[in-house]
Amino acid sequence: MKRLMEMFLRRLGSLLATLVVMSFVIFLLVEIMPGDVAQMILGQSATEEAVAALREARGLNDPLLERYGRWISGVVVGDLGDSIYMQGVSINSILWRKVGHSIILAMTAFIIFVPLSIFFGVLAGVKEKKPTDSIISFFGLATMALPEFVSGVILITVFAVQLKWFPIVSVIPIGESIWQNLNIVVLPALSITLVMFGYISRMQRSSMISVMNSDYIRAATLKGMPRRYVIFRHALKNAMLPTITIIGMNMGWLFGGLVVVETLFGFPGMGSLLMTAIKTRDVPLIEACVLLITVIYSVSTMITDIMYSYLNPRIRYQGGQK
Amino acid sequence: MQRKLSIMIGLLVLVVVLVVVLLMVFQKDETTQEAAVIGEPVEKEAPVKQIRVAEQVPGLITPGVWDGQVFSMNSSIYEYLIEINAETGELDPVLATSWETNEGKVWTFKLRQGVKFHDGSDFTAEDVKYTIERTQDPSLGHLKKTDFEVVESVRVVDDYTVQVTLKEARPTFVYLFTDYNMAILSSEYDYASLGESKPMGTGPFMMSQLVPKESALLKKNPNYWAEGLPKIDQIAIYFVGDIDASISMLESDRVDVVPFITPEIQQRVDGIDGISVISPYQEQRFISMRVDEAPFNDNRVRLAFKYAMDPKVIARSTAKMELNDGVFYNETPIMNMLAEYKELPLRERNIAKAKQLLAEAGYPNGLSTELYYASDHPFGKELSQTVKELAAEAGFDIELKGYTRDVYLSQYWLNVPISITGWGGRIDPSMLLSLAFKGGGPWNESHLDEPVLNDLIEKISSEADPDQRMAYYHELQEWFYNNGPLINVQVPYLVAIKDNVVGYRQPLTMLPQYKYMDIL
Repeated sequence: MKRLMEMFLRRLGSLLATLVVMSFVIFLLVEIMPGDVAQMILGQSATEEAVAALREARGLNDPLLERYGRWISGVVVGDLGDSIYMQGVSINSILWRKVGHSIILAMTAFIIFVPLSIFFGVLAGVKEKKPTDSIISFFGLATMALPEFVSGVILITVFAVQLKWFPIVSVIPIGESIWQNLNIVVLPALSITLVMFGYISRMQRSSMISVMNSDYIRAATLKGMPRRYVIFRHALKNAMLPTITIIGMNMGWLFGGLVVVETLFGFPGMGSLLMTAIKTRDVPLIEACVLLITVIYSVSTMITDIMYSYLNPRIRYQGGQK
Repeated sequence: MQRKLSIMIGLLVLVVVLVVVLLMVFQKDETTQEAAVIGEPVEKEAPVKQIRVAEQVPGLITPGVWDGQVFSMNSSIYEYLIEINAETGELDPVLATSWETNEGKVWTFKLRQGVKFHDGSDFTAEDVKYTIERTQDPSLGHLKKTDFEVVESVRVVDDYTVQVTLKEARPTFVYLFTDYNMAILSSEYDYASLGESKPMGTGPFMMSQLVPKESALLKKNPNYWAEGLPKIDQIAIYFVGDIDASISMLESDRVDVVPFITPEIQQRVDGIDGISVISPYQEQRFISMRVDEAPFNDNRVRLAFKYAMDPKVIARSTAKMELNDGVFYNETPIMNMLAEYKELPLRERNIAKAKQLLAEAGYPNGLSTELYYASDHPFGKELSQTVKELAAEAGFDIELKGYTRDVYLSQYWLNVPISITGWGGRIDPSMLLSLAFKGGGPWNESHLDEPVLNDLIEKISSEADPDQRMAYYHELQEWFYNNGPLINVQVPYLVAIKDNVVGYRQPLTMLPQYKYMDIL
């Protein structure tokens, strides 16, 4: 337990270091994006005077380090600043609402695709080279090969246009909350499921096969243990390891990187917010979104590592059994 | 078999339990989500009459620095001294009831009485004075600063009379008040800190709820001065960054109006029952050649380029429309629909002549040049591609350089050999002339500095006699036809709209007039 704690602290330290470096990289990247923010804001009818006045008013003329310092000191205390457009409207009030929507979408997708892909992955692994395996593998490969904007359009065509079960666009009517419109989550979540299913089920299948062929499973089977017991008690725990890594690695994407899916469905989440921010060069908003996504990625990687070592004693006790 | 079944049921139960738990967890978040909403919460009663609009995500919306997005929102909240009648093109009185001038130097405006701002304060002459003087505020970067530099003083005669004295005669000065950035603001309201989050004016609709980057709900102004207007109870505006998503919303009956669509989108909605595409007015695309550098410093090269064009082909391949039926073409800065327009013969395509002119100018084997355009602007790609191909036959080897609009405007525009730029129409074209075609003008994309032309532009803006002014306009257009570096392609501004929305009005000022619209 002490080792686990030590590892946790070490990971936390490197996480913080990563975030500091990343925050500067994000700031720099946004800085060198082509196009001028003030020009962008004012549009074509902007005169040079107007652009200059706006640059001055928004503090865009200050030196880079000064602006970075101002930004990061706000971020540390939870103030992400104002959107460059809506003065007086803090990014916090824009961002968290969208993050809430994204979390609901990610959670929905997660509880659909994780059990589904693990179950079918295990099934395919256990039934290796049998028709069940072939069907699952074929389906997995097919959905993996389809990018989400293609599978998304197929889903829209079938479930929204033809069957009319779900709305074509995931828009929350004005004055209502997402809870009154949970049906808008379904199609985007299914679209994510299709992308993730092939990936995870194939990973689960191959690790299941290798575990099932290992000596200790053969020994367990030979001593007459029931097959169900062998699969779920002995094989699954070990076969889950690579799958958990894959799931963990995709958590960041799931919570913050769904730009394509959200844009396609018009879902009011963080991905589409990021898209809007980039399109309109809303620098503080881009920085806030990207930083948040970085945090999610780092934290989910950390959790994955910790879970991994919990499940796999060989990693937990790397220094040898004491 | 039974085992498998029980595993399946187990999984299913697990999923259901998880969903329920998650729902309960997030239900608590409702209060924090509500806090993100600016303004009063929406009442749950079913709206009686509502028009739903999908618009671009707004940039700055405070009049003065408003970048011209979300026209449906701002034009409904704010009002102007005068507006353009979308049907007749005449000036209609709004907050000013009448105006007069002595030869264009001193302007007196009589103001409408009994008008109230949305915050309850009275509209008076002080507000007009404030709005005009605000254009010169250096910290603001007002987009109409240059236009209003001609104002010498603004005097409040009484509560409902304002007198504006100009430094020099401007017979068409009154048209400046139709510009979308000249909405009349309250002198008592703090636009610097509230203008972006709580827009407030005298308009027919009031901001009821604004969710940043997502939506806005406007409700009928109960104290609106015009009897019987507005006809609908509310306007729901969704900010949608993606035009395809906007059209999906229209197709699935989530919105009723989608403005500013492209010709490709028009083809997509053509043939859908209950949806039409209308074109309330034309916009201009200026194909400008830079005259202070080779090769276009030689008028023969400019003429060769113009001889290589084919207006009919441009109309068809750019907008899938016929010439003079949706798309218009001339070689001057004056739109075909304006009274000032002089009909000059349409230049017939003549490749032999174009080649001959190029040879005379010293380019017997043709020449290479670059054309810059905004690739994400409607008609940008189509027009530049067509121009490239037409010009190629005469010996122009054009390399196309397309950039997103902000990059194009901030990095290339005004400094390139050929550019294609979108220009809104001006009901008084003299405003545009001094900005874009006079030596030293801030948007002089072709770098013109011709004494004849400068003189003509000066005369047009100060001439009080309308007939004489018209004569100058005609002279100017002839100059452009024979020497000009400009091709003016006028393309339709397209709006996709449900058939049950009636009375859509949007004049050349680009400001839609939702107060006249109704939904059946």
